[in-house]
Amino acid sequence: MSAIFRCEGLGKQYGGVVALQGVDLELEVGKVHGLIGPNGAGKSTFIDVASGRTAGFGRVHFQGRDITAVAPGERRRMGVSRSFQRTSIFPALTIRDQLDLAAHGAGGGDVEALAAMLGLDRVLDRRAEEVSYGQQRLVDLALALVGAPKVLLLDEPAAGLSVAESEVLATHLEEISAQWNVAVLLVEHDMDVVFRICHVLTVLASGRFLVSGPPSEVRTDPAVIRAYFGSTA
Amino acid sequence: MSAMTEHTLAAPAVTRLLPKPGTLLVGLVVIGVAVVAASSAPRVLASLLTQSVIVAFLALGVGLLIRISGLVSFGHAAPFGLGAYGAAWALSPAAPIAPEIGLLLIAPAIGAAFFLIGLVVSRIEGIAFGMLTLALGQSVHVAANKFRTLSGGSDGLIVDVPRRLWGFRTEALQTASGMLIVAVAALMAVLLALAVFERTRAGRLAVAIRENEERVRFLGYRTRAPKAVVLALSAAIPALGGVLFTLYQGFVSPEILTWGFSGQALIMAILGGSVALWGPIAGALAFFVLREELGGLTSHWLAILGTTLIVVTVTWPTGLAGAFGALGRRLTGTVAKGDPA
Repeated sequence: MSAIFRCEGLGKQYGGVVALQGVDLELEVGKVHGLIGPNGAGKSTFIDVASGRTAGFGRVHFQGRDITAVAPGERRRMGVSRSFQRTSIFPALTIRDQLDLAAHGAGGGDVEALAAMLGLDRVLDRRAEEVSYGQQRLVDLALALVGAPKVLLLDEPAAGLSVAESEVLATHLEEISAQWNVAVLLVEHDMDVVFRICHVLTVLASGRFLVSGPPSEVRTDPAVIRAYFGSTA
Repeated sequence: MSAMTEHTLAAPAVTRLLPKPGTLLVGLVVIGVAVVAASSAPRVLASLLTQSVIVAFLALGVGLLIRISGLVSFGHAAPFGLGAYGAAWALSPAAPIAPEIGLLLIAPAIGAAFFLIGLVVSRIEGIAFGMLTLALGQSVHVAANKFRTLSGGSDGLIVDVPRRLWGFRTEALQTASGMLIVAVAALMAVLLALAVFERTRAGRLAVAIRENEERVRFLGYRTRAPKAVVLALSAAIPALGGVLFTLYQGFVSPEILTWGFSGQALIMAILGGSVALWGPIAGALAFFVLREELGGLTSHWLAILGTTLIVVTVTWPTGLAGAFGALGRRLTGTVAKGDPA
């Protein structure tokens, strides 16, 4: 299957510090592609450059079109959506209102159905600041999901969630990638979630590509073990 | 593809856009009280109320900008003064169109001008925005002093208000009681319009931009125009107050363009609070009452007012509107956050 979203040689430099260097990555429809690596590996930088949040080096292609210079809002309308590492919602708005705004921005989307799927239907008319942290993370995810995007770039969606909440999130992501035919890039530290739902893994270390492949292979790769633990022992 | 894309966005029902019936009733009661006050209050009190209601348009504009965009303006006397000078010009023989039409176009025209300004300054926030508004306000003030042929300079302009406008006699507009009723009715209409605006998608988008502009952009929106719309609204409302000011006073001068006047409006907005749309209006009334009462006691009334402002800010950071809201919730025994509009 051909890639719907392709990144070529993505890089980013902050002053004299190279945060990301020449990383290639492809996302396929219906597949969850995990991007992992130790702290400071450049995962969030990668997602920031790929989503247009931060200017960097390299090219980004979506459905064969070069979208490197396309603004984030336009990318969203085209079908490329993202979530953020820190909960990025609208605390003073009701969940319904913000999902409605997101749907309008994306050009359509069934707010009620999405809320029901994520278990947010009971709190739809409450302000986001009034619900639990776990529910806020789901609102964050829902904002990215409204309008059924074709590409979903998720930056640590399970951050701060309990084990049970992470399980629920992983189930949702599995369903979404399979049933919506969406290509997912998942940056995540929770390895239980990563190894459960990812079809492909790419590992970064110190801003560079390290290895890529099926999770079963990546898990036992000596270079990966060395990157995480400092030795193969 | 799943059913997620099958939905088309329905326009919000009209009933959802309107404020609660109780809120509408309060508005009507306020107009009724104004009618009673206009007919029975002593002339001095009626004059005080009229002045405060006209200046409340300015405070409302400043408060709206704080409430929706989180921006503080030190120069909103500019649209108020431009509205006042605009009305003087519309009523002058030099105006190319009928005064009835000219007067109606002033607030939209000033709103449009501030929309364009908003498009340019949309990325500027915080203290930089405050300084920019201060510079803008001072520029207009200096211009009003310098262009004597247009503005009358520091002497100001005496406005010859026609005897009839829109078929009505205008004498009543130049009495405190007559203008009080007109100004209060206009203010309530503006409040209703703002309450409806806040409930529209555009209003919610403006709040979302204040809360998290980056996320809004990643949801598919351009944020420049919505921010400019809020600035335009916040300028058009004071401009309307400026028009009423000219119709009432029959005189305009650069006094209403000073940065001190902008500062007073900011004090009113903070005093009243921005958690409710009506907060700045309450702040304007409180400001005028305090000034009147304290001014009778000492010439240093501003020092006492300043102290009062500090006490209010520390004790009730959300201003009078927040204090009344908290009191209301306590009285009704609710703990949920109320809908102040």
